Amino acid sequence: MEEILRKKAKELLESGEVKVVIGYGWNRQRTKTTPVFITDAADADRLVWNPLCVNNLSVYLTRKFKDIQAMGKPAIVAKGCDIKNIVVLITEAQFKREDVCIIGMTCEGVVYRQELWKGELKPEIMPTKCHNCDVRNPHLADFVVGEKSSFTPPETPAGMVFDKIKALDSRGQADKWSFWINEFSRCIKCYACRQVCSLCYCERCITEKNMPQWIETSAHPRGNLSWNLTRAMHLVGRCTFCGECERACPVNIPLNLVNQKMIQVVKDAFDFRSGYDEKTHPPMIVFSPDDKDDFIK
Amino acid sequence: MADRILKKDNLGKLVASVNGNGGRFIAPVLDARQVVFKDVTKAEEIVTEYILARNSYKEYVFPQTEVVADFTVEKHGVDLKSREVEARETVVFGARPCEAASLSSLRAIFTWDYIDEFYTKREDSLVVVTVACTKADDACFCTTVDLSPESRAGSDLYLLETESGDYMVEAITDKGRAFVEKYKGAFTEGSGKAKTLVMPEKIGTIDLEKVSARLKDKNHYDDQVWARLTRKCIGCGACTFVCPTCHCFDITDEGTQFAGERRKNWDACQFDTFTLHASGHNPRHYQHQRWRNRFMCKFNYYPEKFASKGCVGCGRCIRVCPVRLDITEVMEEFSR
Repeated sequence: MEEILRKKAKELLESGEVKVVIGYGWNRQRTKTTPVFITDAADADRLVWNPLCVNNLSVYLTRKFKDIQAMGKPAIVAKGCDIKNIVVLITEAQFKREDVCIIGMTCEGVVYRQELWKGELKPEIMPTKCHNCDVRNPHLADFVVGEKSSFTPPETPAGMVFDKIKALDSRGQADKWSFWINEFSRCIKCYACRQVCSLCYCERCITEKNMPQWIETSAHPRGNLSWNLTRAMHLVGRCTFCGECERACPVNIPLNLVNQKMIQVVKDAFDFRSGYDEKTHPPMIVFSPDDKDDFIK
Repeated sequence: MADRILKKDNLGKLVASVNGNGGRFIAPVLDARQVVFKDVTKAEEIVTEYILARNSYKEYVFPQTEVVADFTVEKHGVDLKSREVEARETVVFGARPCEAASLSSLRAIFTWDYIDEFYTKREDSLVVVTVACTKADDACFCTTVDLSPESRAGSDLYLLETESGDYMVEAITDKGRAFVEKYKGAFTEGSGKAKTLVMPEKIGTIDLEKVSARLKDKNHYDDQVWARLTRKCIGCGACTFVCPTCHCFDITDEGTQFAGERRKNWDACQFDTFTLHASGHNPRHYQHQRWRNRFMCKFNYYPEKFASKGCVGCGRCIRVCPVRLDITEVMEEFSR
């Protein structure tokens, strides 16, 4: 797969069809992968592909990265789950489908965090999203690299995140409140969750608006709660459960629980799952005249 | 040379005495699947199998958020009342030699052009009890920045773990000696066999002198090398917040239009708003320019201005980075 990927990248750069290939390369010790930006066909051999390729590189397609956008048309190495975010970016008019070349990778799962890797991909080191993945064969791509995966996800989503949500749902309101207050109390306001997220692409985040200061920037319980709740709300109907925020969080806040819960709420209310169809707008940004609720009419 | 032995059975006594005296005992404990420096009341909570705590103990001398003043808006103007720092004896147990070395760097900045009492009063009452490393991982690089598990700088007490789980205690500073004297009930005579210390391998391709010489020549400022190496930086503050020497803060007011508090909060040079001017201009427009600043701060500004270490090689920034931007790879590039 790696060879085909490198060949494809080389072709794209040589023909001038793209100016940069955003993919994965090795770190110095060759123990972990790290994002690389290949602009010269001769460097295409730096690209790697393995279960350590956990990052969702679609973040580099957003306007947060003006220098990368200035390079010219990008090609991006993307797993099915990463492509979901690209789909959302297209539906939200961040760029057009033809503005990006998607090199879709068939995928048998990644490790939740690279530290867990001992040379073998075992189910217990894979994140919940991989166990329920219905896009192991990329659903939107210019090219697909890899053998077709025959994996079928379980009918009812299963795994640690779903179990925890179920357990939380069964608890009383006060109990849930104290659970989240405790989890959010660790927040250090580093904003890694926001920065790693390709759907958090606002050039000026609400926490940075200080006239008035909507969200208190202090890492005290009040500031932490308002930040984490606001971010969750801003991702409703958009988040694809790629899990990058939880992976990036240096203090292990279970953000996947918040985001997957929101996904379930949107699914129940609008029968919508984000990230599958680049032609359907997410429910929170559209209005339909035949909306079943009449409060807005 | 060990002056005393701290028996593991006496650790509980020490914790209790410090807390009983109105002090704080900070040690690595397990919290949300991570080893973290936190207040402890019982010795059983303390974790001994760890490389480094996730957080640096700097938050006990330089809290992430603290009120420095209270204000009320009156008819005649604004009344601003400064807060007094309430510094209690604070014992940090289980610091590593790398991070112990960071204290002099923090002191240098907080006493440079202004004596920041919110810092100095806390540091004055801080006792650093270092436990030398018997574990390391591939992010550790203390030996590359001229430190090692044997470094004593910044420690008040330097401890070696023994095979039987006790600690051989070496008092380094007067503060350390006074501490042993004050809690002499917990420290006993004796000896033990120390566990072997683990030395991270020095990264041969890095030459600190070359790094600092190359950074001194500011022609590198607009060099493409910064973009090439650090383009992938996503601009979060994780590296700076876990770093034992990063010290930047922001002042912010919270409250109503009539009253509130003025807070001093950690800030990070990696945030795009860090240098954003009111006019809308940002002198560090791109992320790689912000990253350059962090590197310059550690390997040029600090050594030049304060003759102290800007980087102690603890490797926390490498472990925590969501895109695994490895500072040693940049050091390597600047050693060429």
